Amino acid sequence: MEKSIESIWKQGFLNSNALVAPKLNNLYNQKSIHLIDKFKRMFKINLYAIIVGSLLFLGISFLIGIPIMGIGFFLTLTVIVIVNMRLSRSLNKIDKSESSYHYIKAFDNWVKQQVSVNRIMASFYYPLFFFSMVLGFWHYHFNGKQLGEAITNYMILHYPGIGLIYGVPLFIILSVILMMVLLYYLGGRIYNWDLKVVYGGVLRKLDEIIADMEELRS
Amino acid sequence: MSNDFYAISIEPYSAIIIKICRAYTNSQEDFEDYYQEVCLQIWRTRNNFRGQSEWSTWVYRLALNVSLTMLKKMKNNSKYFTSEYLPSGLTENSQTFSDEALNHLYDAIKRLSEVDRGVILLYLEEKSYKEIAEITGTNPNNIGVRIKRIKERLKKILDGKVN
Repeated sequence: MEKSIESIWKQGFLNSNALVAPKLNNLYNQKSIHLIDKFKRMFKINLYAIIVGSLLFLGISFLIGIPIMGIGFFLTLTVIVIVNMRLSRSLNKIDKSESSYHYIKAFDNWVKQQVSVNRIMASFYYPLFFFSMVLGFWHYHFNGKQLGEAITNYMILHYPGIGLIYGVPLFIILSVILMMVLLYYLGGRIYNWDLKVVYGGVLRKLDEIIADMEELRS
Repeated sequence: MSNDFYAISIEPYSAIIIKICRAYTNSQEDFEDYYQEVCLQIWRTRNNFRGQSEWSTWVYRLALNVSLTMLKKMKNNSKYFTSEYLPSGLTENSQTFSDEALNHLYDAIKRLSEVDRGVILLYLEEKSYKEIAEITGTNPNNIGVRIKRIKERLKKILDGKVN
């Protein structure tokens, strides 16, 4: 007589020794490797995007007449890429054969070091970006005249007593310095925000995994 | 995870976790990944259990949800080539159990839709319609009809009437 699926199920498991649970070891092994690989991929893509973006912008800046801005951006971004590429060399040295806890802790330490270096750099590169923008537009030619010169002439005409340093209104120099100082202080925060947008999900997951692993070890 | 927690809260239900994970995987490696992930999720969410249902219901639900999520994740991520993409006959796991009829039944179950697999596993574990509906998040009024339909399909697959 043909067996019903219910009896196949019952008898099958009665006779079977297949209900042996696998050993719970290295619970986070695959997870940590996947997470770190994902971060590495994102980091690499991010660096390539910066290189391509800075080269593209360099070309465009020459085409639209703001080459100083393009060069400033390109040089600043190149320094960022070089520093991060050097940092990523030590990331590749992290030993995967270590226990998953030590592997992920080593990665976490690397992330912390990377974030701290980039946060310090951000205090300098955001003011530099701004300075490059100002210089770029200052030397931009509009209707056959340099934009900076046109602004200076306009200010001299309307405010004859205005102070000048090397032909540039003192007011503008002070405003630019003030803005650069402000960006120096805000650079770290802007970087934190940028970090959260790009790597927020991965870093949150990393903290969760470490917290779980530490609880599991205790 | 303490040994106590595993021994008291997971081990008594390991059979159903194994049965569920087997229904969503085609290789020993995937099966072990799923099993570990289910145990981990049970441990991680243990404080969310409010006692409104049986602990076993909680475990069933988690085992199903984790299996479905992992299946979805693996399908979405083409980087991970898993046994799910292979016909069950080509994978090591098609002869998981010593009982040949059970192997055939599992192969047939794996050909059902993801939710239907969960429904029939719970039915075979003699869960009530209400519990099945609660665990799978389906309408309790339709469970009986749904199970009847799934059983008919399983029978057709086992009889070789469905390719």
